[in-house]
Amino acid sequence: MIIFDKVTKKFPLGNFGLNEISFEINDNEFVFLVGPSGAGKTTIIKLIIKETNISSGSIIIDNEDISSSNYKNKAQLRQKIGVIFQDFKILYEKNIFENIALACQIKNFSYSATKEKVKKALEMVGLLEKEKVFPIQLSAGELQRVAIARAIVDDRKYLLADEPTGNLDPKTSWEIMKIFKKLENKKTIIIATHNNDIVNSFQKRVITLKNGKIIKDKRKGGYEI
Amino acid sequence: MKEIFKSIKRTPYQSLAGFLVLFFSFFLSLIILFSLSLANGILNYLETKPQVTVYFQPKTPENQIFKIRDELSQSGKTLSIKYISQKEAFEIYKNLNKDNPLLLEMISSDIFPPSLEIFAKKPYFLPEIAEYLKKQPDIDEVQFQKDIVDKLLTFTNVLRKISFIFFGYLIIMSIIVLTTTISFKIALKKDEIELLRLLGATNSYIRKPFLKESLFMGFIASIFSFLILLGLIFYLNPFLKYYFFEISEISFDFNFIKIIIWPFNFLFISLIFLFVLFFSCFISIVSTYLATNKYLKV
Repeated sequence: MIIFDKVTKKFPLGNFGLNEISFEINDNEFVFLVGPSGAGKTTIIKLIIKETNISSGSIIIDNEDISSSNYKNKAQLRQKIGVIFQDFKILYEKNIFENIALACQIKNFSYSATKEKVKKALEMVGLLEKEKVFPIQLSAGELQRVAIARAIVDDRKYLLADEPTGNLDPKTSWEIMKIFKKLENKKTIIIATHNNDIVNSFQKRVITLKNGKIIKDKRKGGYEI
Repeated sequence: MKEIFKSIKRTPYQSLAGFLVLFFSFFLSLIILFSLSLANGILNYLETKPQVTVYFQPKTPENQIFKIRDELSQSGKTLSIKYISQKEAFEIYKNLNKDNPLLLEMISSDIFPPSLEIFAKKPYFLPEIAEYLKKQPDIDEVQFQKDIVDKLLTFTNVLRKISFIFFGYLIIMSIIVLTTTISFKIALKKDEIELLRLLGATNSYIRKPFLKESLFMGFIASIFSFLILLGLIFYLNPFLKYYFFEISEISFDFNFIKIIIWPFNFLFISLIFLFVLFFSCFISIVSTYLATNKYLKV
Protein backbone atom coordinates (compact mmCIF):
# COMPACT_ATOMS: atom_id res chain seq x y z
CA MET A 1 0.00 0.00 0.00
CA ILE A 2 1.22 3.48 -0.85
CA ILE A 3 0.14 6.43 1.31
CA PHE A 4 0.89 10.06 0.47
CA ASP A 5 0.00 12.32 3.38
CA LYS A 6 0.08 16.08 2.75
CA VAL A 7 3.14 15.68 0.55
CA THR A 8 4.79 18.84 -0.68
CA LYS A 9 7.71 18.96 -3.07
CA LYS A 10 9.26 22.35 -3.48
CA PHE A 11 11.98 22.81 -6.09
CA PRO A 12 15.11 24.87 -5.39
CA LEU A 13 13.75 27.88 -7.33
CA GLY A 14 10.73 27.95 -5.06
CA ASN A 15 8.09 26.51 -7.43
CA PHE A 16 5.96 23.62 -6.22
CA GLY A 17 6.16 20.20 -7.84
CA LEU A 18 3.50 18.95 -5.44
CA ASN A 19 1.52 20.97 -2.98
CA GLU A 20 0.11 19.14 0.06
CA ILE A 21 -1.32 16.18 -1.82
CA SER A 22 -2.77 13.15 -0.06
CA PHE A 23 -3.94 9.82 -1.48
CA GLU A 24 -3.79 6.10 -0.82
CA ILE A 25 -3.21 3.36 -3.36
CA ASN A 26 -4.16 -0.16 -2.29
CA ASP A 27 -2.33 -3.34 -3.19
CA ASN A 28 -3.07 -4.61 -6.73
CA GLU A 29 -4.87 -1.38 -7.60
CA PHE A 30 -4.61 0.05 -11.13
CA VAL A 31 -4.22 3.83 -11.12
CA PHE A 32 -3.71 6.43 -13.82
CA LEU A 33 -2.03 9.71 -12.99
CA VAL A 34 -3.16 12.32 -15.49
CA GLY A 35 -2.69 16.01 -15.89
CA PRO A 36 -0.91 18.54 -18.07
CA SER A 37 2.87 18.75 -18.28
CA GLY A 38 4.34 20.03 -15.01
CA ALA A 39 1.29 18.90 -13.01
CA GLY A 40 3.42 16.62 -10.80
CA LYS A 41 2.89 13.13 -12.29
CA THR A 42 6.57 12.33 -12.75
CA THR A 43 7.36 13.89 -9.36
CA ILE A 44 5.03 11.38 -7.70
CA ILE A 45 6.81 8.50 -9.43
CA LYS A 46 10.22 9.92 -8.50
CA LEU A 47 9.13 10.29 -4.88
CA ILE A 48 7.89 6.68 -4.73
CA ILE A 49 11.20 5.33 -5.98
CA LYS A 50 13.05 7.79 -3.74
CA GLU A 51 14.85 9.44 -6.60
CA THR A 52 14.03 12.75 -5.00
CA ASN A 53 13.03 13.81 -1.49
CA ILE A 54 9.87 15.48 -0.25
CA SER A 55 9.89 18.94 1.30
CA SER A 56 7.15 18.15 3.83
CA GLY A 57 4.48 15.56 4.60
CA SER A 58 5.04 11.82 4.60
CA ILE A 59 5.11 8.86 2.24
CA ILE A 60 4.47 5.38 3.58
CA ILE A 61 5.00 2.30 1.46
CA ASP A 62 4.12 -1.10 2.92
CA ASN A 63 3.94 0.39 6.42
CA GLU A 64 7.42 1.87 6.10
CA ASP A 65 7.92 5.61 6.24
CA ILE A 66 10.29 6.55 3.42
CA SER A 67 9.97 10.31 3.90
CA SER A 68 13.33 10.97 5.52
CA SER A 69 16.04 12.31 3.24
CA ASN A 70 18.43 9.97 5.08
CA TYR A 71 16.27 6.93 4.35
CA LYS A 72 18.66 3.99 4.35
CA ASN A 73 16.76 1.15 2.67
CA LYS A 74 16.58 2.79 -0.75
CA ALA A 75 17.97 -0.26 -2.59
CA GLN A 76 15.53 -2.63 -0.85
CA LEU A 77 12.63 -0.27 -1.60
CA ARG A 78 13.54 -0.04 -5.28
CA GLN A 79 13.81 -3.82 -5.52
CA LYS A 80 10.06 -3.93 -4.87
CA ILE A 81 9.28 -1.49 -7.68
CA GLY A 82 9.53 -1.98 -11.41
CA VAL A 83 9.77 1.28 -13.31
CA ILE A 84 9.08 1.92 -16.99
CA PHE A 85 10.24 5.16 -18.55
CA GLN A 86 9.25 7.06 -21.66
CA ASP A 87 12.84 6.80 -22.94
CA PHE A 88 12.98 3.04 -22.16
CA LYS A 89 16.39 3.23 -20.39
CA ILE A 90 17.74 0.25 -22.29
CA LEU A 91 21.48 -0.52 -22.40
CA TYR A 92 22.49 -0.71 -26.05
CA GLU A 93 25.71 -2.70 -25.56
CA LYS A 94 23.81 -5.55 -23.90
CA ASN A 95 21.45 -7.89 -25.70
CA ILE A 96 17.78 -8.24 -24.74
CA PHE A 97 18.38 -11.18 -22.42
CA GLU A 98 21.16 -9.29 -20.59
CA ASN A 99 19.04 -6.15 -20.29
CA ILE A 100 16.18 -8.00 -18.68
CA ALA A 101 18.45 -10.19 -16.56
CA LEU A 102 19.90 -7.09 -14.83
CA ALA A 103 16.90 -6.94 -12.52
CA CYS A 104 17.47 -10.57 -11.47
CA GLN A 105 21.23 -10.21 -11.15
CA ILE A 106 21.00 -7.45 -8.57
CA LYS A 107 18.90 -9.82 -6.47
CA ASN A 108 21.59 -12.49 -6.86
CA PHE A 109 19.35 -15.02 -8.59
CA SER A 110 21.17 -18.03 -10.00
CA TYR A 111 21.79 -18.14 -13.74
CA SER A 112 19.24 -20.91 -14.28
CA ALA A 113 16.58 -19.06 -12.26
CA THR A 114 17.36 -15.85 -14.15
CA LYS A 115 17.10 -17.63 -17.49
CA GLU A 116 13.75 -19.11 -16.60
CA LYS A 117 12.36 -15.79 -15.34
CA VAL A 118 13.62 -13.85 -18.38
CA LYS A 119 11.95 -16.37 -20.71
CA LYS A 120 8.69 -16.03 -18.82
CA ALA A 121 8.85 -12.23 -18.98
CA LEU A 122 9.71 -12.26 -22.69
CA GLU A 123 6.80 -14.58 -23.32
CA MET A 124 4.52 -12.20 -21.43
CA VAL A 125 5.55 -9.25 -23.61
CA GLY A 126 5.66 -11.29 -26.82
CA LEU A 127 9.39 -11.11 -27.52
CA LEU A 128 10.44 -14.67 -26.79
CA GLU A 129 12.30 -15.10 -30.06
CA LYS A 130 14.34 -11.91 -29.58
CA GLU A 131 16.35 -12.67 -26.47
CA LYS A 132 19.71 -12.71 -28.29
CA VAL A 133 18.96 -9.60 -30.33
CA PHE A 134 20.57 -6.24 -29.53
CA PRO A 135 18.37 -3.18 -28.81
CA ILE A 136 19.53 -1.36 -31.93
CA GLN A 137 17.67 -3.99 -33.97
CA LEU A 138 14.34 -3.37 -32.24
CA SER A 139 11.54 -0.86 -32.84
CA ALA A 140 10.44 1.66 -30.19
CA GLY A 141 7.43 -0.47 -29.30
CA GLU A 142 9.62 -3.53 -28.88
CA LEU A 143 12.06 -1.58 -26.73
CA GLN A 144 9.21 -0.54 -24.47
CA ARG A 145 8.17 -4.19 -24.20
CA VAL A 146 11.74 -5.01 -23.15
CA ALA A 147 11.49 -2.31 -20.48
CA ILE A 148 8.23 -3.84 -19.25
CA ALA A 149 9.78 -7.30 -19.23
CA ARG A 150 12.65 -5.95 -17.13
CA ALA A 151 10.19 -4.35 -14.71
CA ILE A 152 8.18 -7.54 -14.19
CA VAL A 153 10.84 -10.23 -14.54
CA ASP A 154 11.53 -10.66 -10.82
CA ASP A 155 7.94 -10.36 -9.60
CA ARG A 156 8.12 -6.84 -8.22
CA LYS A 157 5.09 -5.80 -6.24
CA TYR A 158 4.71 -2.35 -7.79
CA LEU A 159 4.84 -1.32 -11.41
CA LEU A 160 5.29 2.38 -12.15
CA ALA A 161 5.19 3.68 -15.69
CA ASP A 162 6.04 7.23 -16.62
CA GLU A 163 4.49 8.05 -20.00
CA PRO A 164 5.03 4.50 -21.28
CA THR A 165 3.35 5.26 -24.59
CA GLY A 166 4.71 8.78 -24.95
CA ASN A 167 7.08 7.85 -27.78
CA LEU A 168 4.86 5.32 -29.49
CA ASP A 169 2.29 5.42 -32.28
CA PRO A 170 -1.36 4.71 -31.31
CA LYS A 171 -1.33 1.08 -32.48
CA THR A 172 1.84 0.24 -30.57
CA SER A 173 0.56 2.16 -27.57
CA TRP A 174 -2.49 -0.11 -27.43
CA GLU A 175 -0.28 -3.19 -27.68
CA ILE A 176 1.76 -1.94 -24.73
CA MET A 177 -1.35 -1.19 -22.74
CA LYS A 178 -2.62 -4.73 -23.40
CA ILE A 179 0.42 -5.99 -21.50
CA PHE A 180 -0.50 -3.78 -18.54
CA LYS A 181 -4.02 -5.15 -18.76
CA LYS A 182 -2.64 -8.69 -18.45
CA LEU A 183 -0.87 -7.65 -15.23
CA GLU A 184 -4.03 -6.18 -13.71
CA ASN A 185 -4.85 -7.53 -10.22
CA LYS A 186 -1.40 -9.14 -10.00
CA LYS A 187 0.51 -5.96 -9.17
CA THR A 188 -0.08 -2.43 -8.03
CA ILE A 189 0.15 -0.48 -11.28
CA ILE A 190 0.56 3.29 -11.48
CA ILE A 191 0.70 4.83 -14.94
CA ALA A 192 1.40 8.48 -15.58
CA THR A 193 0.04 9.36 -19.01
CA HIS A 194 -1.34 11.97 -21.37
CA ASN A 195 -3.14 9.44 -23.51
CA ASN A 196 -6.85 10.16 -22.98
CA ASP A 197 -8.08 7.30 -25.21
CA ILE A 198 -6.28 4.74 -23.13
CA VAL A 199 -7.39 6.24 -19.80
CA ASN A 200 -11.00 6.44 -20.95
CA SER A 201 -11.10 2.89 -22.24
CA PHE A 202 -9.57 1.28 -19.15
CA GLN A 203 -12.16 2.72 -16.74
CA LYS A 204 -9.80 2.52 -13.78
CA ARG A 205 -9.01 4.86 -10.94
CA VAL A 206 -7.78 8.21 -12.24
CA ILE A 207 -5.96 10.79 -10.14
CA THR A 208 -5.98 14.11 -11.95
CA LEU A 209 -3.29 16.63 -11.07
CA LYS A 210 -2.92 20.28 -11.88
CA ASN A 211 -0.19 22.65 -10.66
CA GLY A 212 0.94 20.12 -8.09
CA LYS A 213 -2.51 19.59 -6.59
CA ILE A 214 -5.02 16.76 -6.91
CA ILE A 215 -8.10 18.16 -8.56
CA LYS A 216 -9.96 14.86 -9.03
CA ASP A 217 -9.62 11.32 -7.74
CA LYS A 218 -12.24 9.03 -9.31
CA ARG A 219 -12.50 5.26 -8.74
CA LYS A 220 -13.70 4.60 -12.31
CA GLY A 221 -12.77 7.70 -14.11
CA GLY A 222 -11.77 9.04 -17.45
CA TYR A 223 -9.41 11.64 -18.77
CA GLU A 224 -10.78 15.00 -17.67
CA ILE A 225 -8.75 18.08 -17.06
CA MET B 1 36.85 -12.46 -15.83
CA LYS B 2 34.94 -12.05 -19.09
CA GLU B 3 33.51 -8.75 -17.83
CA ILE B 4 36.97 -7.54 -16.77
CA PHE B 5 38.52 -8.22 -20.18
CA LYS B 6 35.52 -6.64 -21.88
CA SER B 7 35.94 -3.49 -19.83
CA ILE B 8 39.71 -3.35 -20.48
CA LYS B 9 39.05 -3.76 -24.22
CA ARG B 10 36.55 -0.91 -24.16
CA THR B 11 39.08 1.50 -22.63
CA PRO B 12 42.51 0.15 -23.58
CA TYR B 13 44.51 3.38 -23.15
CA GLN B 14 43.06 4.21 -19.74
CA SER B 15 43.65 0.64 -18.63
CA LEU B 16 47.23 0.72 -19.89
CA ALA B 17 47.89 4.05 -18.15
CA GLY B 18 46.51 2.64 -14.89
CA PHE B 19 48.53 -0.53 -15.25
CA LEU B 20 51.80 1.30 -15.99
CA VAL B 21 51.41 3.63 -13.03
CA LEU B 22 50.62 0.72 -10.72
CA PHE B 23 53.58 -1.24 -12.07
CA PHE B 24 55.91 1.75 -11.59
CA SER B 25 54.69 2.30 -8.02
CA PHE B 26 54.89 -1.36 -7.05
CA PHE B 27 58.33 -1.84 -8.57
CA LEU B 28 59.77 1.22 -6.81
CA SER B 29 58.12 0.17 -3.56
CA LEU B 30 59.68 -3.26 -3.86
CA ILE B 31 63.13 -1.78 -4.51
CA ILE B 32 62.75 0.47 -1.46
CA LEU B 33 61.51 -2.39 0.70
CA PHE B 34 64.32 -4.63 -0.48
CA SER B 35 67.02 -2.00 0.17
CA LEU B 36 65.54 -1.13 3.55
CA SER B 37 65.43 -4.77 4.61
CA LEU B 38 69.02 -5.33 3.49
CA ALA B 39 70.27 -2.18 5.26
CA ASN B 40 68.46 -3.14 8.46
CA GLY B 41 69.83 -6.65 8.19
CA ILE B 42 73.39 -5.41 7.79
CA LEU B 43 72.94 -3.10 10.75
CA ASN B 44 71.64 -5.99 12.82
CA TYR B 45 74.60 -8.08 11.72
CA LEU B 46 77.04 -5.40 12.83
CA GLU B 47 75.23 -5.13 16.13
CA THR B 48 75.97 -8.78 16.79
CA LYS B 49 79.72 -8.26 16.36
CA PRO B 50 82.00 -7.16 19.24
CA GLN B 51 81.41 -3.52 19.23
CA VAL B 52 83.80 -2.02 21.74
CA THR B 53 87.06 -3.65 22.64
CA VAL B 54 88.98 -2.09 25.50
CA TYR B 55 92.63 -3.07 26.10
CA PHE B 56 94.08 -2.58 29.58
CA GLN B 57 97.71 -2.12 30.61
CA PRO B 58 99.27 -5.61 30.98
CA LYS B 59 99.79 -5.09 34.71
CA THR B 60 96.26 -4.02 35.47
CA PRO B 61 94.83 -6.06 38.35
CA GLU B 62 91.86 -8.26 37.43
CA ASN B 63 89.65 -6.81 40.17
CA GLN B 64 90.09 -3.37 38.59
CA ILE B 65 88.93 -4.79 35.22
CA PHE B 66 86.01 -6.63 36.83
CA LYS B 67 84.94 -3.43 38.59
CA ILE B 68 84.69 -1.65 35.22
CA ARG B 69 82.91 -4.66 33.71
CA ASP B 70 80.33 -4.68 36.53
CA GLU B 71 79.73 -0.93 36.28
CA LEU B 72 79.12 -1.27 32.53
CA SER B 73 76.77 -4.23 33.04
CA GLN B 74 74.72 -2.20 35.49
CA SER B 75 74.42 0.74 33.06
CA GLY B 76 71.75 -1.15 31.04
CA LYS B 77 73.48 -0.25 27.79
CA THR B 78 75.27 -3.54 27.21
CA LEU B 79 74.05 -6.89 25.98
CA SER B 80 77.08 -8.82 27.23
CA ILE B 81 80.67 -8.27 28.19
CA LYS B 82 83.37 -10.84 27.62
CA TYR B 83 86.64 -10.73 29.62
CA ILE B 84 89.74 -11.96 27.79
CA SER B 85 92.66 -12.53 30.14
CA GLN B 86 96.33 -12.30 29.15
CA LYS B 87 96.51 -16.09 28.92
CA GLU B 88 93.40 -16.29 26.72
CA ALA B 89 94.79 -13.51 24.50
CA PHE B 90 98.05 -15.47 24.18
CA GLU B 91 96.07 -18.61 23.24
CA ILE B 92 94.19 -16.68 20.58
CA TYR B 93 97.50 -15.33 19.26
CA LYS B 94 98.99 -18.83 19.20
CA ASN B 95 95.98 -20.18 17.42
CA LEU B 96 96.09 -17.47 14.79
CA ASN B 97 99.81 -18.02 14.14
CA LYS B 98 100.09 -21.75 14.56
CA ASP B 99 101.52 -22.07 11.05
CA ASN B 100 104.31 -19.60 11.77
CA PRO B 101 106.50 -20.85 14.68
CA LEU B 102 108.86 -17.92 14.30
CA LEU B 103 106.21 -15.55 15.51
CA LEU B 104 105.58 -17.69 18.57
CA GLU B 105 109.19 -17.85 19.74
CA MET B 106 110.28 -15.64 22.62
CA ILE B 107 106.72 -14.58 23.36
CA SER B 108 104.93 -15.12 26.60
CA SER B 109 101.44 -14.22 27.79
CA ASP B 110 102.85 -11.27 29.84
CA ILE B 111 103.06 -8.99 26.84
CA PHE B 112 99.41 -9.42 25.89
CA PRO B 113 96.98 -6.94 27.37
CA PRO B 114 93.84 -8.17 29.09
CA SER B 115 90.72 -6.88 27.39
CA LEU B 116 86.95 -6.61 27.51
CA GLU B 117 84.77 -7.23 24.43
CA ILE B 118 81.58 -5.25 24.96
CA PHE B 119 78.35 -5.82 23.00
CA ALA B 120 76.05 -2.79 23.17
CA LYS B 121 72.26 -3.06 23.13
CA LYS B 122 71.96 -0.32 20.51
CA PRO B 123 74.65 1.14 18.21
CA TYR B 124 74.05 4.66 19.55
CA PHE B 125 75.30 3.54 23.00
CA LEU B 126 78.72 2.88 21.51
CA PRO B 127 80.19 6.39 21.77
CA GLU B 128 78.91 6.71 25.37
CA ILE B 129 80.52 3.42 26.37
CA ALA B 130 83.77 4.36 24.63
CA GLU B 131 83.86 7.76 26.37
CA TYR B 132 83.23 6.13 29.73
CA LEU B 133 86.07 3.64 29.18
CA LYS B 134 88.56 6.30 28.10
CA LYS B 135 88.11 8.04 31.46
CA GLN B 136 88.98 4.91 33.43
CA PRO B 137 92.51 4.29 34.81
CA ASP B 138 94.92 1.71 33.29
CA ILE B 139 93.27 1.83 29.87
CA ASP B 140 95.66 1.26 26.99
CA GLU B 141 93.30 1.55 24.00
CA VAL B 142 89.61 1.67 23.20
CA GLN B 143 88.59 0.33 19.77
CA PHE B 144 85.10 0.39 18.28
CA GLN B 145 83.60 0.35 14.80
CA LYS B 146 82.27 3.84 15.21
CA ASP B 147 82.62 4.98 11.65
CA ILE B 148 80.97 1.99 10.04
CA VAL B 149 78.12 1.83 12.52
CA ASP B 150 77.62 5.62 12.40
CA LYS B 151 77.52 5.65 8.63
CA LEU B 152 75.17 2.70 8.47
CA LEU B 153 72.94 4.21 11.13
CA THR B 154 72.78 7.51 9.28
CA PHE B 155 72.21 5.71 5.98
CA THR B 156 69.44 3.54 7.43
CA ASN B 157 67.75 6.50 9.08
CA VAL B 158 67.90 8.58 5.90
CA LEU B 159 66.70 5.63 3.85
CA ARG B 160 63.84 5.05 6.26
CA LYS B 161 62.75 8.70 6.14
CA ILE B 162 63.06 8.94 2.36
CA SER B 163 61.20 5.65 2.05
CA PHE B 164 58.28 6.92 4.11
CA ILE B 165 58.04 10.10 2.04
CA PHE B 166 58.43 8.15 -1.18
CA PHE B 167 55.90 5.51 -0.15
CA GLY B 168 53.43 8.26 0.67
CA TYR B 169 54.08 9.91 -2.68
CA LEU B 170 53.70 6.62 -4.56
CA ILE B 171 50.48 5.75 -2.75
CA ILE B 172 48.93 9.18 -3.44
CA MET B 173 50.08 9.17 -7.09
CA SER B 174 48.79 5.64 -7.70
CA ILE B 175 45.46 6.36 -6.04
CA ILE B 176 44.95 9.56 -8.05
CA VAL B 177 45.80 7.94 -11.39
CA LEU B 178 43.77 4.81 -10.70
CA THR B 179 40.83 6.88 -9.42
CA THR B 180 40.95 8.94 -12.63
CA THR B 181 41.12 5.79 -14.75
CA ILE B 182 38.15 4.25 -12.96
CA SER B 183 36.26 7.55 -13.23
CA PHE B 184 36.71 7.42 -17.02
CA LYS B 185 35.29 3.93 -17.05
CA ILE B 186 32.42 4.97 -14.79
CA ALA B 187 31.62 7.88 -17.08
CA LEU B 188 31.29 5.39 -19.94
CA LYS B 189 28.96 3.27 -17.82
CA LYS B 190 26.98 6.18 -16.37
CA ASP B 191 23.71 5.03 -17.93
CA GLU B 192 24.17 1.51 -16.68
CA ILE B 193 24.93 2.71 -13.16
CA GLU B 194 21.89 4.98 -13.19
CA LEU B 195 19.71 2.10 -14.36
CA LEU B 196 21.16 -0.29 -11.79
CA ARG B 197 20.42 2.22 -9.05
CA LEU B 198 16.83 2.58 -10.24
CA LEU B 199 16.44 -1.19 -10.29
CA GLY B 200 17.56 -1.32 -6.65
CA ALA B 201 21.21 -2.31 -6.90
CA THR B 202 23.13 -1.76 -3.70
CA ASN B 203 26.25 0.39 -3.68
CA SER B 204 28.44 -2.66 -3.20
CA TYR B 205 26.84 -4.35 -6.22
CA ILE B 206 27.62 -1.32 -8.39
CA ARG B 207 31.16 -1.07 -7.04
CA LYS B 208 31.92 -4.77 -7.50
CA PRO B 209 32.84 -4.83 -11.22
CA PHE B 210 35.07 -1.76 -10.88
CA LEU B 211 36.70 -3.20 -7.79
CA LYS B 212 37.27 -6.52 -9.53
CA GLU B 213 38.88 -4.78 -12.49
CA SER B 214 41.20 -2.61 -10.41
CA LEU B 215 42.14 -5.59 -8.22
CA PHE B 216 42.92 -7.54 -11.38
CA MET B 217 45.08 -4.71 -12.76
CA GLY B 218 46.80 -4.36 -9.38
CA PHE B 219 47.42 -8.10 -9.25
CA ILE B 220 48.95 -8.20 -12.75
CA ALA B 221 51.08 -5.10 -12.01
CA SER B 222 52.29 -6.62 -8.74
CA ILE B 223 53.16 -9.92 -10.47
CA PHE B 224 55.15 -8.07 -13.15
CA SER B 225 57.02 -5.89 -10.66
CA PHE B 226 57.72 -8.89 -8.43
CA LEU B 227 59.07 -10.95 -11.35
CA ILE B 228 61.39 -8.13 -12.40
CA LEU B 229 62.65 -7.77 -8.83
CA LEU B 230 63.17 -11.53 -8.70
CA GLY B 231 65.24 -11.31 -11.89
CA LEU B 232 67.24 -8.49 -10.34
CA ILE B 233 67.87 -10.53 -7.19
CA PHE B 234 69.14 -13.46 -9.25
CA TYR B 235 71.33 -11.12 -11.27
CA LEU B 236 72.80 -9.46 -8.16
CA ASN B 237 73.25 -12.70 -6.24
CA PRO B 238 76.83 -13.47 -7.46
CA PHE B 239 77.96 -9.89 -6.72
CA LEU B 240 76.42 -9.94 -3.26
CA LYS B 241 77.99 -13.32 -2.60
CA TYR B 242 81.36 -11.75 -3.35
CA TYR B 243 80.77 -8.76 -1.06
CA PHE B 244 79.18 -10.75 1.76
CA PHE B 245 81.55 -13.72 1.61
CA GLU B 246 82.43 -13.35 5.30
CA ILE B 247 78.79 -13.05 6.37
CA SER B 248 76.95 -16.28 6.81
CA GLU B 249 73.56 -14.71 7.54
CA ILE B 250 71.86 -11.31 7.48
CA SER B 251 68.56 -11.09 9.28
CA PHE B 252 66.27 -8.77 11.20
CA ASP B 253 63.63 -9.28 13.81
CA PHE B 254 60.07 -8.44 12.88
CA ASN B 255 57.73 -8.70 15.87
CA PHE B 256 59.99 -11.33 17.48
CA ILE B 257 60.10 -13.33 14.24
CA LYS B 258 63.56 -13.67 12.79
CA ILE B 259 63.50 -13.02 9.06
CA ILE B 260 66.60 -14.12 7.19
CA ILE B 261 67.42 -11.87 4.25
CA TRP B 262 70.79 -13.22 3.22
CA PRO B 263 71.27 -15.75 1.77
CA PHE B 264 68.08 -15.02 -0.20
CA ASN B 265 65.47 -17.55 0.69
CA PHE B 266 61.88 -18.57 -0.05
CA LEU B 267 60.39 -16.98 3.10
CA PHE B 268 61.92 -13.55 2.47
CA ILE B 269 60.92 -13.58 -1.20
CA SER B 270 57.40 -14.75 -0.28
CA LEU B 271 57.09 -11.92 2.25
CA ILE B 272 58.10 -9.40 -0.41
CA PHE B 273 55.44 -10.83 -2.72
CA LEU B 274 52.82 -10.65 0.04
CA PHE B 275 53.79 -7.04 0.69
CA VAL B 276 53.29 -6.03 -2.94
CA LEU B 277 49.97 -7.92 -3.09
CA PHE B 278 48.73 -6.17 0.03
CA PHE B 279 49.90 -2.82 -1.34
CA SER B 280 48.07 -3.43 -4.64
CA CYS B 281 44.85 -4.46 -2.85
CA PHE B 282 44.98 -1.36 -0.67
CA ILE B 283 45.44 0.99 -3.62
CA SER B 284 42.76 -0.76 -5.71
CA ILE B 285 40.17 -0.70 -2.94
CA VAL B 286 40.75 2.94 -1.98
CA SER B 287 40.75 4.13 -5.63
CA THR B 288 37.58 2.24 -6.50
CA TYR B 289 35.85 3.54 -3.41
CA LEU B 290 36.82 7.15 -4.19
CA ALA B 291 35.90 6.92 -7.89
CA THR B 292 32.53 5.23 -7.38
CA ASN B 293 31.53 7.22 -4.35
CA LYS B 294 30.45 10.37 -6.14
CA TYR B 295 28.27 8.39 -8.59
CA LEU B 296 26.47 6.58 -5.83
CA LYS B 297 25.06 9.67 -4.15
CA VAL B 298 21.48 10.61 -4.97
